[in-house]
Amino acid sequence: MADTAREAARPGRRLTPWLFLAAPLTLLLTFTYAPIANMIAYSFTDWDGVSPELNWTGAGNYSELLTRSELFEVFFVSGYYLAASVVQIVLALYFATVLSFDVRFRNFFKGVLFFPYLVNGVAIGFVFLYFFQDGGTLDSVLSLFGAGTDHAWLGTPFSANTSLAGVSVWRHMGLNFVLFLGAIQSIPGELYEAAEIDGATRWQQFRHIIAPGIRPVLSLSVILSVSGSLSVFEIPYIMTGGATGTETFVIQTVKLAFQFNKTGLASAAAVVLLLIVLAVTWVQRRIVPDEKVDLV
Amino acid sequence: MHLNRRTTLTGSIALLALLAAACTGTGGSSEGADAKAPDDPSEVKGSITVLTHRTDLVQDGTMKKYAAEFNKTYPGVEVEFDGLTDYEGEVKIRMNTENYGDVLMIPAVIEKKDYPKFFASLGTKAERGARYRFTDYSTVDGKVYGQSPIGVVPGFVYNKKVWNDAGVTDWPTTPDEFLDDLRAIRSRTDAVPYYTNFKDMWPLTQWTNVNGSVGCDTGATTKLAEGDPWAEGADLRVADTLLHDIVRGGLAEKDPTTTNWEASKPGLAKGEIATMWLGSWAVVQMRDAARQAGADPADIGFMPFPAQRDGTFCAVTSPDYQQAVNVHSGHKEAARAWIDWFTDKSGYAEANLALSPLKDAPLPDVLEPYREAGVKLLDLDDGKGAEVKSIDNMSEVGIYKPDYRQDVVDLARGAREGSLDDFLGDLGKRWSEARNSLGS
Amino acid sequence: MTRRTVTRTLVYLSLILAALVVLLPLTVVLLTSLKSSEEMADGSGALALPDDPLNFDNYVTAFQDGRMLSAFGNTAIILVAAIGGTILIGSMTAYAIDRFHFRFRKPVLALFLLAALVPGVTTQVATFQIVNSFGMFDSLWAPIALHMGTDIVSIYIFLQFIRSIPVSLDEAARLDGAGAFTVYRKVILPLLKPAIATVVIVKGINVYNDFYIPFLYMPSEDLGVISTSLFRFKGPFGAHWETISAGAVLVILPTLIVFLFLQRFIYNGFMRGATK
Repeated sequence: MADTAREAARPGRRLTPWLFLAAPLTLLLTFTYAPIANMIAYSFTDWDGVSPELNWTGAGNYSELLTRSELFEVFFVSGYYLAASVVQIVLALYFATVLSFDVRFRNFFKGVLFFPYLVNGVAIGFVFLYFFQDGGTLDSVLSLFGAGTDHAWLGTPFSANTSLAGVSVWRHMGLNFVLFLGAIQSIPGELYEAAEIDGATRWQQFRHIIAPGIRPVLSLSVILSVSGSLSVFEIPYIMTGGATGTETFVIQTVKLAFQFNKTGLASAAAVVLLLIVLAVTWVQRRIVPDEKVDLV
Repeated sequence: MHLNRRTTLTGSIALLALLAAACTGTGGSSEGADAKAPDDPSEVKGSITVLTHRTDLVQDGTMKKYAAEFNKTYPGVEVEFDGLTDYEGEVKIRMNTENYGDVLMIPAVIEKKDYPKFFASLGTKAERGARYRFTDYSTVDGKVYGQSPIGVVPGFVYNKKVWNDAGVTDWPTTPDEFLDDLRAIRSRTDAVPYYTNFKDMWPLTQWTNVNGSVGCDTGATTKLAEGDPWAEGADLRVADTLLHDIVRGGLAEKDPTTTNWEASKPGLAKGEIATMWLGSWAVVQMRDAARQAGADPADIGFMPFPAQRDGTFCAVTSPDYQQAVNVHSGHKEAARAWIDWFTDKSGYAEANLALSPLKDAPLPDVLEPYREAGVKLLDLDDGKGAEVKSIDNMSEVGIYKPDYRQDVVDLARGAREGSLDDFLGDLGKRWSEARNSLGS
Repeated sequence: MTRRTVTRTLVYLSLILAALVVLLPLTVVLLTSLKSSEEMADGSGALALPDDPLNFDNYVTAFQDGRMLSAFGNTAIILVAAIGGTILIGSMTAYAIDRFHFRFRKPVLALFLLAALVPGVTTQVATFQIVNSFGMFDSLWAPIALHMGTDIVSIYIFLQFIRSIPVSLDEAARLDGAGAFTVYRKVILPLLKPAIATVVIVKGINVYNDFYIPFLYMPSEDLGVISTSLFRFKGPFGAHWETISAGAVLVILPTLIVFLFLQRFIYNGFMRGATK
């Protein structure tokens, strides 16, 4: 944050910023922080989510969480999404680099690659349910190439998680791609020209000009991917409901709260997840203390 | 230490949620209120909202027709419907406020002892029990808080033509015989012998309704509360083993993970699917599907779980969701009028070919084969129902939830490692641990 | 062939492949939406062309029975109100934080930053109690207030933009006797136009695609928005992929049209959303 001590502290002026902040802060506190505070409070109780009565259990939920290691096993599933986001970033980087050079139908490709990011999540759910169905899109395409298959795409934990992570790449790659493209295009053109004159290859241009130019955006993408992989929810929830080994930490939390009425324990799990995400963010900021990028 | 959530917690965050606390702090003064039936139907006035899980009936206008019919007797009451797709999840959140409609289906999450805090009483057990079925499912301290508009009987919905084509005409009487019959269907017809509806999840929960049918015991629910549901020979073990063996034997659909409930109905009607474990309520939907698909509705049959005691089949009757009046409702008389009318006069039970909640009503046609075959209908004793729910939640097993049966299917398909014995043994262990810690 | 041509060919191949991967699932849905239910019942393969490419029956069904018209209407109202509110709130916050020096400035900023990291699904019970206590449940106000009140991204976009507006402009206006509010309204807000365009786009897409808030807070059928109306297709049309597909296309189409017309602004919008 740039320092902006620009306003002379004239008397009577002190109140002015608060007048502007009154509405935003009220909304922020009411709709974001009040619920968080409630959640933290519930995490110290055995509340079932609806009963008018609850008992104070101290740190009981937290010690239960820590002693039940099976509750953290679902983070293995995050591994699939983490791997997928590596693929996603590499792909996005590749396409951004390629399309930053002169390519025919550049705008068409750019638009096509980015568009999935804008598509409605419910529609995506339906599109891909049809895609993975027995005899659906994927099976049809494969048999077109003579690779007729009977594979149940969502049938085994490995296959299901890979498929779901693939959907996640399909949906989110476009954003990374556009961010990288923007960063690459903001690199002054003279640098490339100079490099061309020096006889640098495309790879050398990438390494020495492009890579340093996009470092801030890259580190932002990495941090968003890590925290995103830890809190995956929508795609697996719509498509499999967490069956066949596709349960993520957030789905598990929602189930604890809504199926087994352990709202207290679920709140504690949510707090733990929040702390993990904060820790990851903090670590990233220590490693790459980049002033240019703010978390979105 | 017992705290009152509404005051203490919101108080503790008062700094942040001043606005919210001011409004969520509600007096519990309406607790214990009664919803009395009105004396004069034409006098009742008001607008009521009915929360329902039957989104299909809301969407196709059926509920509006019921409301119009209701208005002939109660012209002063305006009825609105909220069809909730994720009924349990949405109602649970709404029940944290007073704003949960005037009439609603009691969601599974509410503990029985809390019924008086959320619902207005419909009368005493003595007066209602004489007339209606299933009253003990919602009785607290002698007062009744809900009434199911229909009773359901679990069973296999099957396509008679397919079963006949496979050369099977008699109902199987043991799980092994049932498996043999499915094998015959697989080899002699093109039909999928059994369809799990794995993806839609809730059809798997229906298997819990087997409980009581195997042992032919009205005390089956009490047994769940006091013993291991997966002990050798226990009802749920028999049921889960059958489901496992069906899938393991390759007698179920090829890819359970992309099943489609709506598509399974015409599938069964047209004979592409031979069998599904559901309940009597499903028969009417299958017959409708048959009509739409140009198949013969008479091909849809219904059979009990393949187990006999002393040469007779047993089938349990159980309530569907029970309708109740919101204790905070401003129009309790109108709400009560709706429940009474819907239970007694609407024809909802007949339309669904279901068991009427009225004790003196005749059996529906669907169950005619049951009567002929001498199937014994049991009303389970729900005295320990609340304990079973507590143990179920505490242990995170979820016998009324789809998850563990999805695991059973995955186990049978080889998509999950381990043996059925170990898996059911582990469920039993978690169950008894939860029971012990609740008992202490 | 030189090495250069080989690389070029490979690059184009990769681009074409990627385009196919993106477009294929969507194209199949489009094809399916044009088939009749008889074709579907006869097992028309996913890639098979429809018999009649101008068969819009499913669209009629989806539009009428799926009540898409009122869904689009509700979505439009929410879009306008939520975006309008977000612009006012975001720009006011950014103005106050950037142009004034006051106590607790940093903590206030941190509050906004931290809020972006909370996984929203986990706090829904408490959020519901609050929304309900304002009487906003089952009304269009619930999504409007929540979208306005929990938006952090747009505050950041405004903040980054407002820094590039020279303070000398403010000071000149001040010398002419303008108060803080006049400066905000007459000087800052007009200069924020590009940022406003960005927020309209980023926020608009968010609101348009949001599912959870309307699903939970507006159960009445009259209050369906496009996400929830499409989701409700699952019940009555569960076995009819052709109708579901038509619904999905109806939902995606407006996004596509807006995207085609505003491409440039949209790219800029998302880039600015993340970096300076």
